[in-house]
Amino acid sequence: MHDDTHIGGAGSRFPQTRGSAIIAARSGDAETRNRGYAALVAGYWKPVYKYIRLKWHQSNEDAKDLTQGFFAQAMEKEFFQGYDPAKARFRTFLRTCLDGYIANENKAGKRLKRGGNAQIMGLDFENAEGEIRELQLSAGTVPEDFFERESLRSLFEVALARLKEACETAGKMQHYRIFERYDLREDEAEKITYDQLAAEFDLPVSQITNHLAYVRREFRRLVLEILRELTASDEEFRSEVREVLGVDPE
Amino acid sequence: MSKPLLGILLGAVLGFFDGMTAWFTPEVREQMVLIVASSTFKGLVAGIVIGFVAQRVNSLPLGILIGLIVAILVTLPFALMEDPATGNTYFWEIMLPGALVGAIVGYATQRYGIRKQAA
Amino acid sequence: MKPLSDGLLRRLRRVADLPDLSDSKYRLIRKLGSGGMGNVYLVEDTVLRREVALKVINIPDPPPDLTARMLREARIIARLEHPGIVPLHDVGELPDGRVYYTMKRVQGSSLERYSKSIEPLSERLRIFQRICQAVAFAHVRGVIHRDLKPENVMVGGFGEVLVMDWGIAKLQEAPDEKAAGGEGVASDDFSSGPQTRSGTVLGTPAFMAPEQARGQVEAVDARSDVYALGAILFFLLCRKNPPLPEAEPAFTKQLAWDLAAARAEDRPLSRPLRAICTRAMAWDNSARYDTVTALIADIEAFLDGRAVSAYRENLLEIARRFLFKYRFLAGLVLTYLIIRLLMIFFFRP
Repeated sequence: MHDDTHIGGAGSRFPQTRGSAIIAARSGDAETRNRGYAALVAGYWKPVYKYIRLKWHQSNEDAKDLTQGFFAQAMEKEFFQGYDPAKARFRTFLRTCLDGYIANENKAGKRLKRGGNAQIMGLDFENAEGEIRELQLSAGTVPEDFFERESLRSLFEVALARLKEACETAGKMQHYRIFERYDLREDEAEKITYDQLAAEFDLPVSQITNHLAYVRREFRRLVLEILRELTASDEEFRSEVREVLGVDPE
Repeated sequence: MSKPLLGILLGAVLGFFDGMTAWFTPEVREQMVLIVASSTFKGLVAGIVIGFVAQRVNSLPLGILIGLIVAILVTLPFALMEDPATGNTYFWEIMLPGALVGAIVGYATQRYGIRKQAA
Repeated sequence: MKPLSDGLLRRLRRVADLPDLSDSKYRLIRKLGSGGMGNVYLVEDTVLRREVALKVINIPDPPPDLTARMLREARIIARLEHPGIVPLHDVGELPDGRVYYTMKRVQGSSLERYSKSIEPLSERLRIFQRICQAVAFAHVRGVIHRDLKPENVMVGGFGEVLVMDWGIAKLQEAPDEKAAGGEGVASDDFSSGPQTRSGTVLGTPAFMAPEQARGQVEAVDARSDVYALGAILFFLLCRKNPPLPEAEPAFTKQLAWDLAAARAEDRPLSRPLRAICTRAMAWDNSARYDTVTALIADIEAFLDGRAVSAYRENLLEIARRFLFKYRFLAGLVLTYLIIRLLMIFFFRP
């Protein structure tokens, strides 16, 4: 902003992000690299697993092995070193790597025990399998589109988990519960008013809106933080933000 | 130029030229001065009325219609007159062009000239 | 754990995108749309109790040049008080550092959509004139729009025409201030060049003057807007986008061909009107109208049945134009003459 300009507002700038996990995953420092990989696995293991199940028609056991094997080999063989944000989005690059990896695995006839050290990831595959059943996939589902959508879903799930954790740490669980009640309600048809929430939580309406604004602000911050982690450049980050948050008006 | 003044001038000029066309009728050439004078006079009278109407009425079709009616009324006595020499009447020869002159003045006073605002 | 349903995912995307207005006097109602630089929301000004449109940069942690550009846009609109330009009410900053500004809420449709419903040529030209008047005003105030296109013109419910999206406008020394011997406004070109705006292509190429499309930032002046206005006129006349100004003489030939093929009210477009459009869209900016005012004068002359500066008529065309303009009077005089002739030759006593 121009130096000669001062305009009102709460004033706090956009928070510092943790930085790009992709760049961290390419770091020479082992600890930074591990941290980067962990963030990428956290953001992508679920869409990767679901994608393997849908596109490559693998059994859940094989899909588990392939998921763990893929991330283990990506780390071992430094797959992500070759990523160039100017050419494609990281998500697309990761999917292409995954397709190549599985094609190779299939060609080599390997079936079991890929990436033995990947067991330490402790991924909740039972949950992911349950989600596949919940999603009720149709025969016409395009695997690539499915991967995109699931990546997005995973991003928001991770953001919600971090939000809950942040609210717990900050002692603002009531704020979170108001957000849960208002913005996370499953029933689309259910209309909740601020007055109803005020009665339910025994708070004035102004406090309800303030609490909601706080959690929404935190949620946005966390979504952006995760997006920052999952992108490699400012350009890619901005383009992802536009795509992820660019929802058409109702 | 105000609309009444435009009506007067245009009525008089067109009336004058309308009267002058009598020259093409050899039978009445001897009475040219009388014909031109009376034609100019009726144009003048019709122009005054049409101009004042245009000052108050702002409608092109209505302006033309009023011009036509005023011209017919003003021309009618002249059209009904008999030629003292021959006893002939020139009803349509006077009526039709006279009415058209009124319509032209009606059109012109609606389209042009300044309408003065009422105080 | 159940996966987030598609509906919930959609809602969360929207929630994460909402501007935090909790510390402001505005209450969010809904999102209206998004443009190249920002999102537009319908909000209520809780103090004045009126609905206004709020525009906010749609990327987080915006780079300083983008924030500066957004502020610049706000300042540009603020200095353009004209019925054809949406008035700006307020500028502020969200808790996350993003700049927003509020402006009058415009209800209507874009010219792109509105033009489909207007048939009479004269009405299309009257709308075009009003667009030109807003742009001419901006030019006098030293502002070149640089992104004029049907999408950036709104036609309100009462026929009001509003020129929008001044995000990439260029400030020049204002002619009126220069003439008055005032301080003037220094050239203020913040944009990173016409090819990119936050990584996207600026404007619609079909409405961009050749010099602007080539990236010759210094060559862009009021005549570049004249070109864009000519392209809008083409759009209104032909109901399609003009050809891309890629190469000469192919462009001029295609333009002439399209205009000759266009029809308005079941008649081909008249030569003077085609000439106005061709002159406004001339490849070489020195061949265009020097000012938007000159373009307006030609459109006005055309609508009044007078000669236009863009087209030299022959005698026959002058006579035809006069007869057409004064057709009723000519009809009356002709009737008079016919009656007189009939009297002279056939009604002799």
